[in-house]
Amino acid sequence: MFNTIEDYLDALKKEMQGSDAALLQDAQTDAREHLSLALEAAREKAPAVSEAEALKPIIEEYGTPEETASAYQEIERRTSPSLKQVSKPGPGSIWAKIFGVYIDPRTWGSLLFTFITFVTGIIYFVLAVAGASISVSLLILIVGVPIAILFLLSVQGLALLEGRLVEALLGERMPRRPLFAQPGLSWLGRLKALLTDKHTWISMMYMLLQMPLGVVYFTLNIVLITLALSFMAAPVVQIFLNIPVVSLGTGPVLLPYWAMILMMISGFILLTLAMHLVRALGWFHGRYAKWMLVS
Amino acid sequence: MTDLSAHTKKFQKELNAGTSSLILLSVLSHSDAPMYGYQIAKMLEESGPDIPMMKQGTLYPVLRSLEENGLLESIVEPSVSGPPRRYYKITADGRAAKDEWIEIWKQTKQFVDANLKG
Repeated sequence: MFNTIEDYLDALKKEMQGSDAALLQDAQTDAREHLSLALEAAREKAPAVSEAEALKPIIEEYGTPEETASAYQEIERRTSPSLKQVSKPGPGSIWAKIFGVYIDPRTWGSLLFTFITFVTGIIYFVLAVAGASISVSLLILIVGVPIAILFLLSVQGLALLEGRLVEALLGERMPRRPLFAQPGLSWLGRLKALLTDKHTWISMMYMLLQMPLGVVYFTLNIVLITLALSFMAAPVVQIFLNIPVVSLGTGPVLLPYWAMILMMISGFILLTLAMHLVRALGWFHGRYAKWMLVS
Repeated sequence: MTDLSAHTKKFQKELNAGTSSLILLSVLSHSDAPMYGYQIAKMLEESGPDIPMMKQGTLYPVLRSLEENGLLESIVEPSVSGPPRRYYKITADGRAAKDEWIEIWKQTKQFVDANLKG
């Protein structure tokens, strides 16, 4: 029925159509690990048997793609990402919707993520640019091949790591197991497999784009949040230190009380809007990361 | 396939859903070294009669979910041939859970047996 392990993995993919791409990737990794080990053991006992013949009893034991798919889906229903569980929309009032943003863990997760992206974006960018240029220029020599393979593997590794970060902070389900190429390839064959894998290229693109995105997220958040906080703090400073903190037209002015209250309220509104923006950015980035890193 | 066998399959599957977690925790608590999925599957195969519907493929998602709940921990180690293997080890929480689960299992077994006798 299945001639190779790859056939089984394809059937599993078909069976899991519509379920989460990250879950599929995990299921395929587990199946690949088990089936190749079992096949190897079977081959040692009876080397003459064809792969298809040897796989038959193994798959009989492991379960059909249908059974395997349903086992994963069953478990996934019980263990969803921690932040996803809180994302069900409550029946709350409009005020709860507006100000609930402050107690929504996804907001704070997104805020942390945008700050972290500022740092990781730069690291990814440097690694991608340096790795690509070193690998390409050394490819004329034979030492370039292992270096290129190491670089391309590190891209996949970083993509997995980034996925874990996205899942932890943004609540988007991402792969929990790394991708793996077929075993038993030569160095050149492995390099070719990595080069023809679209995951490698899209992940590299993601790494490059993380830097500008990280800068934009960071600037946007810092500017909006500090602006909002200083609006709220300015009247307090004026009251306690009795110095004018606002400049209008020709020079500094001492604000009347009504203006102070207005200023604090507008600062609070601005902060609330900024928090909504942060949460929306996090949601957007989760989708975008899923689209780029898992396919 | 008759309706009866579909019901039987469903019953077996639901039973397995709970017991496989307990079996995996217990296997890993007896083992000194971390074990990978295929190794566990082989061991279970040798330990007794084949349980229908207890497919080896269903062990992996259970291992994963036990790990996500902090009862197991795992590391990936590359192998000379083939894909890397994921080795699972039981955690302190896992051992505590196992002891509690064994108590529950004993009570359940007694309760079911007592009622089956009629």
